[in-house]
Amino acid sequence: MMEYGEFVLPGFCGPPGIHLCLDGFRLIYVLMAVFMWAVSGVFSRKYMAHYEKKGRFYLFFWLTFLATLGVFLSADLYTTFIFFEIMSFTSYVWVAFDERKESLRAAETYLAVAVIGGLMMLMGLFLLYHLLGTLEMDKLHQAALKVADKRQLYLAGGLLLFGFGAKAGCFPLHIWLPKAHPVAPAPASALLSGILTKSGIFGIIVISCQIFTADIFAGDGSWGFLIAVLGTITMFWGAFLALFSIDLKKTLACSSVSQIGFILVGIGMYGLLSAAGENPSIAARGTFLHMVNHSLFKLVLFLCAGAVFMKLHQLDLNEIRGFGRKKPVLKFCFLMGALGITGVPFWSGYVSKTLLHEGIVEYQMILAEQNMPSELLSGSAAGIMAWIGNPAVWKAAEWIFLLSGGITAAYMLKLFVAVFVEKNPKRQSEFDAMKMSGTAVILIPAVFLPVLGSLPSVTMDRLADLGQSFFRAEEMEHAVDYFSMVNLKGSLISLFIGLILYFVLVRGLLMKENRYEDRLPRWFDLENSVYRPILQVFLPNLFGLLCRILDSLTDGLILLARKTTHRQLKEKVYVNEENKAAVIIGGFIDGWHLLLFKFRGGSKKGLKAPKSCIPELKQEERLFLLVGKMVDESFSFGLLLFTIGLCATLGYLLFAFLV
Amino acid sequence: MQGNIVLILPVLFLAAMGIAVLTGKKLRTSRRRLIGTAAVSLGGGAVLTMAALASGKAGLKLWQLTENTAIEFRVDQVSVIFAGLTAAMWLLVGVYSFKYMTHEKNEHQFLGWYLVTFGVLIGLDFAANLITFYIMYELMSLVSLPLVLHERTKEAVMAGLKYLFYSMAGAFTALFGIFFLTTVCPNLDFTPGGIFSEGMLSGGSFTESMLSKGILSGGSFTESILSEGISVGGLFSDGTNLILIAAFCILIGFGVKAGMFPFHGWLPTAHPAAPAPASAVLSGVIAKSGVLGIIRVVYFIIGPDMIRGTWVQNVWILLSLITVFMGSMLAYREPVLKKRLAYSTVSQISYILFGLSILQPIGFAGALSHVVFHSLIKNALFLAAGAIIFTTGWTRVEQMRGLGRIMPKMLTVYTIVSLGLIGIPPLSGFVSKWYLAQGALASGTGIWSWLGPVVLLVSALLTAGYLLPLTIQGFFPGADFNVEEIRLRNPDEKRNSNEKRNLNEKRSLNEEKNPDEKEPSALMLVPAALMAGATLLFGCFPGPLFKLLEELAAMIF
Repeated sequence: MMEYGEFVLPGFCGPPGIHLCLDGFRLIYVLMAVFMWAVSGVFSRKYMAHYEKKGRFYLFFWLTFLATLGVFLSADLYTTFIFFEIMSFTSYVWVAFDERKESLRAAETYLAVAVIGGLMMLMGLFLLYHLLGTLEMDKLHQAALKVADKRQLYLAGGLLLFGFGAKAGCFPLHIWLPKAHPVAPAPASALLSGILTKSGIFGIIVISCQIFTADIFAGDGSWGFLIAVLGTITMFWGAFLALFSIDLKKTLACSSVSQIGFILVGIGMYGLLSAAGENPSIAARGTFLHMVNHSLFKLVLFLCAGAVFMKLHQLDLNEIRGFGRKKPVLKFCFLMGALGITGVPFWSGYVSKTLLHEGIVEYQMILAEQNMPSELLSGSAAGIMAWIGNPAVWKAAEWIFLLSGGITAAYMLKLFVAVFVEKNPKRQSEFDAMKMSGTAVILIPAVFLPVLGSLPSVTMDRLADLGQSFFRAEEMEHAVDYFSMVNLKGSLISLFIGLILYFVLVRGLLMKENRYEDRLPRWFDLENSVYRPILQVFLPNLFGLLCRILDSLTDGLILLARKTTHRQLKEKVYVNEENKAAVIIGGFIDGWHLLLFKFRGGSKKGLKAPKSCIPELKQEERLFLLVGKMVDESFSFGLLLFTIGLCATLGYLLFAFLV
Repeated sequence: MQGNIVLILPVLFLAAMGIAVLTGKKLRTSRRRLIGTAAVSLGGGAVLTMAALASGKAGLKLWQLTENTAIEFRVDQVSVIFAGLTAAMWLLVGVYSFKYMTHEKNEHQFLGWYLVTFGVLIGLDFAANLITFYIMYELMSLVSLPLVLHERTKEAVMAGLKYLFYSMAGAFTALFGIFFLTTVCPNLDFTPGGIFSEGMLSGGSFTESMLSKGILSGGSFTESILSEGISVGGLFSDGTNLILIAAFCILIGFGVKAGMFPFHGWLPTAHPAAPAPASAVLSGVIAKSGVLGIIRVVYFIIGPDMIRGTWVQNVWILLSLITVFMGSMLAYREPVLKKRLAYSTVSQISYILFGLSILQPIGFAGALSHVVFHSLIKNALFLAAGAIIFTTGWTRVEQMRGLGRIMPKMLTVYTIVSLGLIGIPPLSGFVSKWYLAQGALASGTGIWSWLGPVVLLVSALLTAGYLLPLTIQGFFPGADFNVEEIRLRNPDEKRNSNEKRNLNEKRSLNEEKNPDEKEPSALMLVPAALMAGATLLFGCFPGPLFKLLEELAAMIF
């Protein structure tokens, strides 16, 4: 790694210690962080002016800044983890900041994802450290070469992917983004989306490029395939959700999910290309540039959304419609962001998307050249290899890529038209009278976008040159001609799809009586229909019950003993003096009653404990004895006995005679 | 009596001062005098303890009981950790209690028993053989009882009795094991790595080697069984099995104090009933004496090699992991804060037991470090819970919405230590978890080596689930939250009326002094803040502590 500087603090916070370093990739991302925090910091002076407890926001704003710098400077995964956790917790305050009900709920989701992700990552680090004996990024590769059991690497890597993916917003852990972004203050949303998600990507890049490399896995592209599949799903799903959303910031949040998907596809293609023995630098450069681009887009777009929210305190497209018609600065900034993220030629998004697209195309070409064995083509080869080696799969991936690009165009068009073109049916004049202030700072990042996009060979290629050593990628064999017809074609297809989608779907199906409608059913929300029921209701109840049983095991046994064999007698004890029969029989009956009573849970229902029946029996016995005595003493009793005796004698004689 | 006399000084001094506080009527005439005496005793006790720790390795033999047992004290690294911790915690919690106990009656009784318990604990930490340890252990259970039933309510007395019965049952089970051990051990002095050396184990049958060395000579239990040809299913035919049974009894017995499943029941009962400083030391220090007992027996008498790979180890790991999960789960579902913290203690002490049970140097270091870290954290948590009860009377977590508005500093302290307990870097809980997990993975105990870390992490998730809601609701009560409303909120209805009256009086006093600020006074805040600071410090710079622990581990393994 080409390094500019290094900082080691051994033994800090555990044996691996802190290790920071600065190379091209890190330099750019540190500068990005500084730039983004500076812009949002300036913007938030205006934005936060009317909030109480600004102090709290700024405290955590800068704490998160430091932690984020730590993540991007980290040179070993232990350091990454330490700063990553700090970052997760300090940024929680951003989401919960305004303490509305939905903010608190979103913050809860954010925290849950962060904590669960963090613990998964920690488990991954435990395993990785145990396997490799180091977490230094530079040494990971060498150490991983010596590992015999590759499955353990997959396990550790999978756990790390879960942890980093949760932060990045990878499907199916993207749930926090559409919830947290709309409720967080706009500068915070810009940073959450623009740079915090990138820290997850940073981690995924480290493990993909240092551990799951072609030489360790002998050309097995499963890891790259896994990430590419996740990326494709994320890319499409995020775009799909964004298209249906009618909330300005929620659309942008879903768009973030989608763009993260693009980046993941790039990482996946990197893995696949290098597994196939090709130079993966095109995918690496695409990934890196799209990261940088997306950070800038989201900075611009979320701050624009913030400017709207600052004035109107609303984000529903129907309410804020037409707000930006007479606000040229805001309009310009938003337009730059929208054109950039859509990938229109001459804006920076086009360059990175082209590279990513090229990555997929190149992999298809490799598959075609290699002349895959027929069993692979026919799909009869076992398992995952059939998918990786099947050109049809990658043709489909390419089309999903282009389609997602198209949806991006459609939803950005939807936002732009709604906020900046259409007239508000009710409040248009009121909107036009509002003066914007404090938005000028958004111009700075907004201007970057066309500049970067128009001069890619001067600007963006240089950036990519700096960043690519982090990916362990080699130099490109030849420079990409960004504005060749082949490359323009991809973008134009996307734009064409976008226009069709916009006019057919958005203006047709998703509008009713000139209002934007949210037509996604409620249960589509993965969080509310799957995660929360499982994690908040089902599992706690199940294990809670089990643990409650375990908990009361000993106490229950003691209680049982006290109620049965070691009973503490409260009632009067009947001594076995004269009425023996009554006490014995009564004791049995009492015991039986008590048992029945306990069995029915009588004490819980508040019933009275059964009374002892011994006194009654005693009465009975006394009567019985008295009667017996009286009978005993009478003459007729003597006669009766005599008769019985006579009968018995006669009976015996008869019996003896007969036998 | 021979040897290093300094060792007994803290014990005697603290016991004497404690008895003086309990019985001296003159001390009770003014509160200032009482507190002054207690403060001087605590400080003096701590200083004497430090002096004893620094006095070197020489032991002190009080008297010879039998030929090979004596009442003897000595200081080693384990003593340094436990006694140092005890002294520090006792001092801090003591300072806190000077303020806290103003709302309880019979202050002198609490302080007196508090001092006596301190002395006995120091004696326990210095014990040089198992017999001395056992005597001190029983004594500790008895003298700490008044701390639990201090409030004299029916609930407190029942809780105290439960604590006593559990402790006694555990101690007797341990005693049973100790009797077993005495039949096979030449003596019960604590020796790093265990009394039975490698050679004894390797040379054929264990019993034979023992016999040949004349250890199990004439009339010993094992030999008599062997000579009479009684075979109890082969169980006693070999001395190793006897030792394992003894080890198991002792584990379970001392495990009662450490709250190991299935005998953890006393913790959630005793803690809510006891006054906050008592709960704090009960959870943070006294429950650790069970851990100390297990360390002493497993690592200093029997030796880890004897247990490794046997059923005892497997059962031990299983029980500790069940406890870890169960404690966290129950804490997660518990609405009363102090009871929640008690369940949390159940879970966290079993982190330590798990670290010990894997019989591996890294895990051992992690376990001992967690003794220190958990003690700091749990003490601070109980102090915070106590401060909340003291100023507001709230006991249930859902009552505490908006707490951050009235006592932000205390809640910040609570939050820091909570994050430490969850194991968020750079706080100390993370470091011990790292060691525990690395130890488990390197232990080669089959399924446990990875199941252990998984359970620890699931428990960490639950820990976040039961500790953070207070922080979140406290600092983020919601946009519609009204600060005035918090003043009208009643303390828990379930508390008995007498206490409630006390509280109300106390509260009105507080409000007269400073109507807006409800932050607990510095006497309560500073000890908790110091613990939080130590949590952060140990988290950032764990090096020195672990150096000590690794030296110790090197001696044992």
